[in-house]
Amino acid sequence: MKISVNWLKDYANFNTPIDDLVQRLTMCGLEVEAVENVNDDTIIDINVTPNRQDCLSHLGIAREISVLYDCQFKYPEHDFIAENTELDFNVDIINTQLCHRYAGRIVKGVKIAPSPKWMQERLMNCGIRAINNVVDITNYVLLEFGHPLHAFDLNKLKGKKILVATAGEVTKTLEPLKIRLLDNSERILQDQMLLINDADSPIALAGIMGGSTSEVTEETRDIFIESAWFLPQSIRNTSRILGIKTESSYRFERGADIKILKKALDRAAYLMKELCGCTIHGKIDIYPKRFKQQKIKLSFDKINRYIGMEIPKKEVLRILSALTFEIECSEDELTVKVPSSRCDVTRDVDVIEEVLRIYGYDKVPSLLPVAPIKIHSQDSEAKKVTYKIIKKCRELLLNEGFNEAINYSFLGPQDFDLFNINNEDIQRNTINILNPLNSEDSMMRTMLIPSLIRNLVYNISRGNKDIRIFEIARTFLKTEDKQLPIEERHISILLCQDKEKYLYKDNVEDFYILKGVIEKLLKNIGIDEIHFERSKEFFLHQGRSADLFIKTHENNKFMKIGYFGVLSPQVIQKLSVKILKQEVLAAELLLDKIINNLMFKKITFLPIAQFPFIERDSAVVVDDTLELSKIVNLLNSCKDSISNLIEEVAIFDIYKGKGIEDGKKSVAFNIRYRSTDKTLSDEEVDTIHKKVLSEVLPKIEGKIRS
Amino acid sequence: MSSSLKELFSEELKSANDVESINILRVKYLGRKGLITESLKSLASLSLNERPKAGKALNELKVFIEETLRDKELLFSQKVLESRLSRESLDITVCGKYIASGKTHPINQVLSEIIDIFEVMGFEVEEGPEVETDYYNFEALNIPKDHPARDMQDTFYISDDIVLRTQTSPVQIRTMEKNRPPLRFISPGKVYRCDSDVSHTPMFHQVEGLMVDTNINFGHLKGVIETFLKEFFGQKVGIRFRPSFFPFTEPSVEVDISCIICESKGCRICKETGWLEVLGAGMVHPKVFENVSYDSTIYTGFAFGMGVERLTMLKYSINDIRLFFENDLRFLRQF
Ligand SMILES: [Zn+2]
Repeated sequence: MKISVNWLKDYANFNTPIDDLVQRLTMCGLEVEAVENVNDDTIIDINVTPNRQDCLSHLGIAREISVLYDCQFKYPEHDFIAENTELDFNVDIINTQLCHRYAGRIVKGVKIAPSPKWMQERLMNCGIRAINNVVDITNYVLLEFGHPLHAFDLNKLKGKKILVATAGEVTKTLEPLKIRLLDNSERILQDQMLLINDADSPIALAGIMGGSTSEVTEETRDIFIESAWFLPQSIRNTSRILGIKTESSYRFERGADIKILKKALDRAAYLMKELCGCTIHGKIDIYPKRFKQQKIKLSFDKINRYIGMEIPKKEVLRILSALTFEIECSEDELTVKVPSSRCDVTRDVDVIEEVLRIYGYDKVPSLLPVAPIKIHSQDSEAKKVTYKIIKKCRELLLNEGFNEAINYSFLGPQDFDLFNINNEDIQRNTINILNPLNSEDSMMRTMLIPSLIRNLVYNISRGNKDIRIFEIARTFLKTEDKQLPIEERHISILLCQDKEKYLYKDNVEDFYILKGVIEKLLKNIGIDEIHFERSKEFFLHQGRSADLFIKTHENNKFMKIGYFGVLSPQVIQKLSVKILKQEVLAAELLLDKIINNLMFKKITFLPIAQFPFIERDSAVVVDDTLELSKIVNLLNSCKDSISNLIEEVAIFDIYKGKGIEDGKKSVAFNIRYRSTDKTLSDEEVDTIHKKVLSEVLPKIEGKIRS
Repeated sequence: MSSSLKELFSEELKSANDVESINILRVKYLGRKGLITESLKSLASLSLNERPKAGKALNELKVFIEETLRDKELLFSQKVLESRLSRESLDITVCGKYIASGKTHPINQVLSEIIDIFEVMGFEVEEGPEVETDYYNFEALNIPKDHPARDMQDTFYISDDIVLRTQTSPVQIRTMEKNRPPLRFISPGKVYRCDSDVSHTPMFHQVEGLMVDTNINFGHLKGVIETFLKEFFGQKVGIRFRPSFFPFTEPSVEVDISCIICESKGCRICKETGWLEVLGAGMVHPKVFENVSYDSTIYTGFAFGMGVERLTMLKYSINDIRLFFENDLRFLRQF
């Protein structure tokens, strides 16, 4: 709110440098956001917090200054002698719940003209356009007292009366009531909206904006000035529903001062008499709901304990009475009566704040609390494990060259279309935002890959290469039986590298690079047994992707905990950037599910083998389509079925091409044999190795490579 | 005899230029049928007088030849090694094979820095849902539906009663409902506001904190926040506490630090004031305690909250908040 320093000086007797004023106001809760010199005046822009309706005016700010500098405060001139005429005009408040007080004055014989220059300047400096003397005076008083007034052209009011009632209370037909407002818009009214009506129709949206039918114009001679108190919630509701915000509604919805409204009204009448050459008639003041003054009891001890220091009693009393609180006070206790301007003060702590903000936050000594040592609960132990695992995963991915991304938690229907995710897929169970910024971001994520794909497109279109990113974030899955969605952490990884431009070329398939990262990550956090199956996700390349399974806690059965692989060419084709040479790989791991199913093993030391080992290598030719895991599993099963001397099995070569017939491949493996209680002989090992081969070869339809 | 032998050896040694020719010489002179051996045998033909002298001379010559050949051999084998090493030499300026480590997102770096500082002060970490009920996000925090304070935050709605949390304060309510005082924890996490420009994004990160006990006072609030800010921004940073308004605290505080960009001289970032707003705080409003059935006549507490993006932007002089969520690798790799 823009405040003129010269104007303030009309009411508060202070004369301090601007810098000091700005500092003191800011430090008492009236943050000065900008200072501007205009002609011989200084305009300060104050950020008034929603609880301080009383400071949305020059008088309010002047009051604060008088407390801060302990200087004199006075109200502006508002006394006049009214004409002694009988009034043939009446006001009736139908809805006393929403309108607690309604006052008015009639002024006659105004000459509509521009207002004086000093008034125009003050209004302009405070950001309000000058219109004519009558409108300017209502605005001037608004900025002065902070109380919104409205001026009606008296002669345009039908039936010499005003009714304060809701639309529902005055409407006589089933048709919804309408009003054309001063901004020339026509609005359809809802039953609960509070209106000012004449005998025929609504003439103003109470506390928000006047109607055009009773507008003050060049021809206006007689005026009805309204000064009223409306229920904040009602004003706020109407303003919100109709989307109209005005200087008036802004103040009413923060709670106007029900007592000051009479002074503001008289001030406006006084100014009109002085500046528009009119006479003042009658006095209307309907006040069905009297102001009930709040009384708050508190002790000096409570003040001091709450703040952590002792503020002198004298100072407490000075501050509160300067802020117009009435005080009754004993040795230890005080009772504070809250003025009508400060309805935000309702409890003892509000009073403490009033004292402290004037006394100065900076005077309170900084203390460090003494707190008991806490024994960690099981709950917090579990949390610590979770954080440790997340940290491990993050560190591993960083080491593998992946950069961490953070994306908005949103996705949109276009992402599901891009990914060919059908309607039955669980990942479509999104919760949707009613008021999204745009439709592309209208759903909460159920998976993270789409966000990383957006990052990929963004990076590639800006010429960045070698895209390795990951994100750890929550996903949100809608469930039918719960009010709130299930929030679970996922890890998503994306890899798109330009191998040709790399100094040390190797020909490892990207699929195995990503698979390696995932295997390492899972092993690192304590998962030994991972099961891979060809992935069923439609957006992945069916030949180069896998679903991941681990054993669950409860029944030891395998559960899907993610998927990864090369993105299907169909998806890549639809992206807004061309990616021709490189493959794009992505992974989605259900991190929380993985953590929940971790089995913590106690590590027990095994003695290190004492006797030497003997190794045997063999190469077998098998069908190209044979999955290697089959060979490995068969070899491993020989540990049980043939000999416990088999210590370790490892594949070390896969070869296709010259010397191997089409549709076949050669697989070389190594078996290490060792006994725990003696040195093995070559003959012994040869016998076992032969047995192993004759056990395994038929099952894989393999031949020893010659 | 030995002197002519020595001359012959010296002559022949001159043309020996590798390990092999050294070996040939060794056989020729020192072998079982070598010249020295033969000469020693021929000593027998000398007179008894001459014998010791000639014998000594021959033995000296033998030692001389042995040592000379050994030295030469060493020299040649060293040359062989040297030439091998130089053949195998690599360009040591070519960079080694490794994958450059990725970087933690700057927001998460700062977030863990903040968490670390509070953990040292004994604060635990609590989490809660990001999709929240209107009750936990607003009502329980003393922000009724028709209150103007709702204008302070633009809210994403899922339904009339469900919102994307606009602050992490609902975690305070949930944690208080589950536990009895004393309490000391922070709640970091993502929050959402329906807003997007240079200084606002629809999602950002907050860390809020709460401490509740008997006899917690405003001085404690100042002490804990000062300790944090000095740890985070450096011991010399200027700190000021000024009154503000939040519905869930009373008194409420806005905390400014002396501008670290211009060292309080006044700049665009601090709007020429020399101060930067970094944190909101306050004594917990008794209404909030009543909402979780804590006796507000026994317990007091303070709460605070800060925007992680804001702190990160100040720390690294980042001027556009949207950079955090574009995830441009040229941005991410800088931290
Ligand atoms: Zn600055």
